[in-house]
Amino acid sequence: MGAIDGRPETEIVEALAAYRSGERPASVMSRIAKGFSDEESRAIAAYLARQGRP
Amino acid sequence: MSTTRRALLATGAALALARPALAQAAAKVVVIGGGFGGATAARALHRGGLDVTLVEVNPTYVSCPFSNEVIAGLQPMAAQCFGYEGIARAGIRVVHAAATGIDGPARRVMLADGGTLAYDRLVLSPGIDLRFDAVPGYDAAAAERMPHAWKAGEQTLLLARQLAAMPEGGTVVLSVPGNPYRCPPGPYERASLIAHVLKTTKPRAKLILLDAKDSFSKQRLFQSAWKTLYPTQLEYVPLAEGGQVSAVDPDAMIVRTDFSEYKADVACIIPPQRAGRIAAIAGVADRSGWCPIDPVTFESRLVPGIHVIGDAAIAGAMPKSAFSANAQAKVCADAVIDLLAGRAPESPKLINTCYSLVAPGYGISIAGVYHPAGGVLADVEGAGGISPVDAPMSLREQEALYAADWYRTITRQVFG
Repeated sequence: MGAIDGRPETEIVEALAAYRSGERPASVMSRIAKGFSDEESRAIAAYLARQGRP
Repeated sequence: MSTTRRALLATGAALALARPALAQAAAKVVVIGGGFGGATAARALHRGGLDVTLVEVNPTYVSCPFSNEVIAGLQPMAAQCFGYEGIARAGIRVVHAAATGIDGPARRVMLADGGTLAYDRLVLSPGIDLRFDAVPGYDAAAAERMPHAWKAGEQTLLLARQLAAMPEGGTVVLSVPGNPYRCPPGPYERASLIAHVLKTTKPRAKLILLDAKDSFSKQRLFQSAWKTLYPTQLEYVPLAEGGQVSAVDPDAMIVRTDFSEYKADVACIIPPQRAGRIAAIAGVADRSGWCPIDPVTFESRLVPGIHVIGDAAIAGAMPKSAFSANAQAKVCADAVIDLLAGRAPESPKLINTCYSLVAPGYGISIAGVYHPAGGVLADVEGAGGISPVDAPMSLREQEALYAADWYRTITRQVFG
């Protein structure tokens, strides 16, 4: 996936959901994403989307 | 007190004039220990607008993660060493002195150079001390013959030199303590990489891995890799088969168990551990030698105003790792910022991921997600776990790359 800072919120939320469901294959993110709810995923995405912006 | 300070700041000049000492600055936080936990905490607290002093006795930090690669000659020592210039450049006051005393009720740290530091809250990230009273015969002097190399630095280089100089057909003995200890999968990564060195440079040599327990982190992944990669180089002796070391004789280079005696050409003894010494001085370590904490704030259960993070803390299901220390530091810093502002800290979720190399280009991992539950940090059910046992080599290669990426990223984030 490359650098995640500054990526759009929706893209991160969708990626986390896909890792969680197993739809998106991964080495470690599938294991980690299962520890977070949809609401928490949205908070994570909002935080990451704010990073790396001027 | 610090809440008062911040309130005064907001009320303006009249009060500030009346109480100059209280009005002039943000709340003071002292962080002791400049490793992955302490340095991360100092940065996060500083970003939160607090007046932060980082106390670290050493001018250079030597990273334990990836030090097994140094022992195996796969990574230069220089790649393990980090100065504090980046942290100082960020605006954090860095004091290179030993902390010798802590007065919890007076909220003061005493330094070896005679100085004292007042704090509103103190964060301890002292790492571990090796217990030189736990294995008969194994003291600080013995460690010069039989290195532990469990705090990276001269010990790492000593073990690397001993391995390189070992005769063809020699025997390496590596002993692992019972839980808890720093870096649960670390001894098995070390065994793997030493076996790799033996296989590639001294094929008749052998490694005997003596374990004081019967199960360990990523066990199935390690053991399945050992069977394939090191069938003749690595012999694993669990507790049930007499793996617990009962004594060592460093002069004769003998490692004893209840059942047997091993003559070693190279012996690496990883002894039991406890929280770094300042924890006991501060009164935050319990009889186990480790520090009980509140799982939301990491505040000590024993002394108010002191927070403990990283290897020294009793963090429930979280392993003692650099990744954990880094995550705990961020959560603890947020809690300290909230507490000083008079807000209630939110319940956190923390992540740990630990990569191990079983050979160059062959990585495996364990991950976990944790949250406060029943007064401790517990696993979030359904999350975490180890790499698949039946995975293609491409995944092992990918995880070896991710291990290196993680190391680059975290050291840049913490020390860069």
